[in-house]
Amino acid sequence: MHRYIFKRLLMLIPVLLGVVFIIFFIMDLAPGDPVYMVAGDQATEEELDALREQLGLSGNIFTRYLRYVNNMLHGDFGTSFVTKRDVFKTYMERLPNTIRLASLAMIIAIVVSIPLGIIAAVHQNSLKDTASMVLSLLGLSMPNFWLGLLLILVFSLRLGWLPSGGYTGFRSIILPALTVASGLAALLTRTTRSSMLDVIRQDYLRTARSKGVTERKVINKHALCNALIPIITVFGIQFSNVLGGSALAETVFSWPGVGRLVVDAINQRDIPTVTGALVMTTMLVSIVNLAVDIVYAYVDPRIKAQYTK
Amino acid sequence: MTAEKIDITSTELVSKKYRKRSAFVAIWNRLKKNKGAVLGLVILVLVTLLAIFAPVIYNYESDVIEQNVMNRLKPPSAEHWCGTDDLGRDILARIVFGARYSLAIGVVSVIISLIFGVTLGAAAGYVGGAFEDVIMRITDIFSSIPSILMAIAIVSALGKSTFNLMVAVGVSSTPTFVRVARAAVLSVRGEEYVESARAIGMRDWKIILVHILPNCVSQIIVQATLRVAQAIIASAGLSFLGLGVPAPAPEWGSMLSAGRAYIRNSSYLTIFPGLAIMITVLSLNLIGDGLRDAIDPKLKR
Repeated sequence: MHRYIFKRLLMLIPVLLGVVFIIFFIMDLAPGDPVYMVAGDQATEEELDALREQLGLSGNIFTRYLRYVNNMLHGDFGTSFVTKRDVFKTYMERLPNTIRLASLAMIIAIVVSIPLGIIAAVHQNSLKDTASMVLSLLGLSMPNFWLGLLLILVFSLRLGWLPSGGYTGFRSIILPALTVASGLAALLTRTTRSSMLDVIRQDYLRTARSKGVTERKVINKHALCNALIPIITVFGIQFSNVLGGSALAETVFSWPGVGRLVVDAINQRDIPTVTGALVMTTMLVSIVNLAVDIVYAYVDPRIKAQYTK
Repeated sequence: MTAEKIDITSTELVSKKYRKRSAFVAIWNRLKKNKGAVLGLVILVLVTLLAIFAPVIYNYESDVIEQNVMNRLKPPSAEHWCGTDDLGRDILARIVFGARYSLAIGVVSVIISLIFGVTLGAAAGYVGGAFEDVIMRITDIFSSIPSILMAIAIVSALGKSTFNLMVAVGVSSTPTFVRVARAAVLSVRGEEYVESARAIGMRDWKIILVHILPNCVSQIIVQATLRVAQAIIASAGLSFLGLGVPAPAPEWGSMLSAGRAYIRNSSYLTIFPGLAIMITVLSLNLIGDGLRDAIDPKLKR
């Protein structure tokens, strides 16, 4: 098992190096010399050169990439062109807000979707099944930022129950979390349903029933536990979409998280902040995906067996 | 001897023709029975017709672009079914013209990702070995960056334009097609007809094009339909952030973004463009789900 974790950690290194290079390459395509943004129009050629050296903008893309990776390994993600603050520090200040939003959204999605998916599978082709499938199809088809706007319209402006934006304690997190949760809940409902349907006809369920195990226990214990693996897989893959999708939700609700940090930085052409935030977000996604993989290696002995051979 | 030979070929031709047709007809017959898929098809055809005939129904200059301050923020009425926006333009006219943008962006971006994704994925699956490893690791790298953030970065680097939006959304959904195409190719690579094609000295690229891809096409079509739906949502999202189609073009996402400021008193500015996105995406999702069940009835429950 330790060998498996170690192997996966080693495999993460080239992926992350590649991610940094791709982001670096994309940001390099941006027109204009960023040094003017910092220096202004009045600077002389010597001043510009000195500044380029200082900001790490001299040299070709490969030298800059290597320098960036080197700095990154020392925890230095550069300094914002706009606020002149350390990118790493700014990101870390914003990250807890996004984590809070993403975790509440994921909890809401799980609490709603797993029971809904189970009910749909147990009562296949009934009205309950159709209703939950229609609901999840609508959830998948709705742009989450539009849902966010509708929630603001109903719960903040018409009913006045919840704040429409900003970060002012727990009440302000509910609407953004529902917004981020919608797509994930829809997808998880469908996954739970189809995964349960796969399991529900297996012989061991019939055996359990004929032993006299109650129907409730058969579903919750025997069926759900075996149906969980595909659900965890989808959940892990979707973490990346939750973080990405929260960029839109954070914009709608003026939520001070990392998604909005990226969007704002892009509008201000603040390249170090964009690069740093994208790199760190991707690192986070990769680490969470690795953690999910390790979790199922523990949950499912069949997966572990593939790696211990 | 000769007669026998001709005989075999002609039976083969007949059976091949028959089989090809019957597979298509069988899929279509199953699809027809799926109420959701039929509903989706009807909606999609309607939206497409509206997009095509938009210039017949409305005048782009006078209805969609021209500002009319006297008419601003009028609620829905017999004259303006969805009301007018903050610059006095008819919202329904803008939504109808917006369908052209959303459908075009959705389809073209998926075509971009299909071209790159299927080529790379099919080549990786067919060639195998180190080549496959390299392609798949690069795909892993691309797919570990959250796709909407990557699209945002690409648009901001290339500059705001409709084509760049298509490229950004296309590139960010390419990894899906690399994976689907590779998996599809791997599933048929070992089949006898591929081996015999190789044995008679057929070129590799020709084997992929003539023998392998036609057998994987159904899975790719299903994925493509569902990806068009996601591409429409993604491009609306980018436009909503101000990174999509430049104003004054009537893109649904940018209409939502413009309507946001008036949500308190003129909520129709926010409601209708969003409904348009949802209905279009819903139709594609219904068709995609229906196609998947029709192509592989074993999966259907």
